[in-house]
Amino acid sequence: MLDHNRTQAALKGLVFIFVLILPLGLAPPSVAAETQEMAGSFIRSLADQAIKSLTQKDTPRDVKIKRFRTLFNDSFAVRSIGRFVLGRSWRKASKEEQTEYLKLFEDLMVVSYVDRFSRYAGDVLVITRTRAENPRNTTVFTKVKTSSTGKPAKVLWRVGSRGKIMKIVDVIVEGVSMSQTLRSEFSSIVRQKGGKVSGLIEELRKKTKSLKASGQ
Amino acid sequence: MFCRKGMFLGAWVGFPANRAVFAVNRGLDAAFLKPVAMAYRDMTPQFFQDRINDALDNLRAPVILFNDVLQGELERAVATVIRFLINSSLGLLGLNDIATDMGIEGHDEDFGQTLAVWGIPEGPYVVLPLFGPSNPRDAIGMVVDFLIDPFNTWAGNTDRNYAVYSRSAARAVDLRATHLETLNELEKSSLDFYASIRSLYLQRRINEISNGDPSANWPAPGIGQGPYRETKLKTQEAFRTQ
Repeated sequence: MLDHNRTQAALKGLVFIFVLILPLGLAPPSVAAETQEMAGSFIRSLADQAIKSLTQKDTPRDVKIKRFRTLFNDSFAVRSIGRFVLGRSWRKASKEEQTEYLKLFEDLMVVSYVDRFSRYAGDVLVITRTRAENPRNTTVFTKVKTSSTGKPAKVLWRVGSRGKIMKIVDVIVEGVSMSQTLRSEFSSIVRQKGGKVSGLIEELRKKTKSLKASGQ
Repeated sequence: MFCRKGMFLGAWVGFPANRAVFAVNRGLDAAFLKPVAMAYRDMTPQFFQDRINDALDNLRAPVILFNDVLQGELERAVATVIRFLINSSLGLLGLNDIATDMGIEGHDEDFGQTLAVWGIPEGPYVVLPLFGPSNPRDAIGMVVDFLIDPFNTWAGNTDRNYAVYSRSAARAVDLRATHLETLNELEKSSLDFYASIRSLYLQRRINEISNGDPSANWPAPGIGQGPYRETKLKTQEAFRTQ
């Protein structure tokens, strides 16, 4: 009787292993492969979209900015990046400061990246491989052949995913991460302003204003 | 050693004179190097620029090989030797990088990277006069690379110091010309150009030391935190309307 119980327990254990543990080991690779594929085609379609909407020479800059803003908000995790870039200061900022900061951050990104992005988009982008970093993050490795220099640039796109929704969380050009660089820069400004986020907001306001006015 | 902590540590610690030296370097760049690089880029046909770039790269082969070997990267060392032999002969004294066309791509190495591979810490971030962003490890690396470079030995032994100066000048102009646009854009959009360059330098070095193999642990923003909800809803709408 006792033996029988034991066997049953062992069987239950086995079933438990098969039902719970095995899928954990088996399912992720296929899910990851699917996510990787999705991330790749996400970047591909983004590049195609950018070529269509940003590379015509006769489009005025303010129209380009408008289009890029839509594209940027649709395909980048703007708020998450903004928050990451502010680092520890995010928590020190008041609700109003956070809102204003995020608005200015989006502005800065749009006006300072529109030219760079249109330039990259006009060039040939080739996806070399994709790599799953963790269940939610995929890196899409691309080579971008710029027209100005002979050697193609290595551009990595960090894509975060949640189900079917994909957003770019970072762009790494030749080993230099956009988020990382902004983070060091912003923290340096906050430090210079005596640890105040309001000081950074002031600088951001000045910068975006001058960038909009300069409009190449 | 190159965990995110180390990276940020390097960014936080720095010599107080750094900003001043950076400003002087920037002035010198604006007065001399940048105008020359611009003229070089605009007035030299791309073909000749590429040939000069290839020749300068080829001249670095001995130093690269030295460091490949010291880092125990034998495959890369062999590639460096083959590239040097092909490009110096068939490539007409290195003017044509035909090894790359044959599928043997080039890479760079320096003694600063070798020291890093050996586990020597980088020390504080230092802006050197004229040479720009560096740190004690990379500064030592620069000196060692200079001393072991057969080109410099040859020039020194045959009283051709001008060859060393011309090569350095050519390298500076070539390098500056390749980065003209990128640096212009960065300068324009930066809130703190010094901080941007410092971060750029630290990241570039980490990338070079790991031979361009980016870490999966690279700290990056994740989606799915607080602000995520709104964007998620927006995208879902976008998906629906498509």
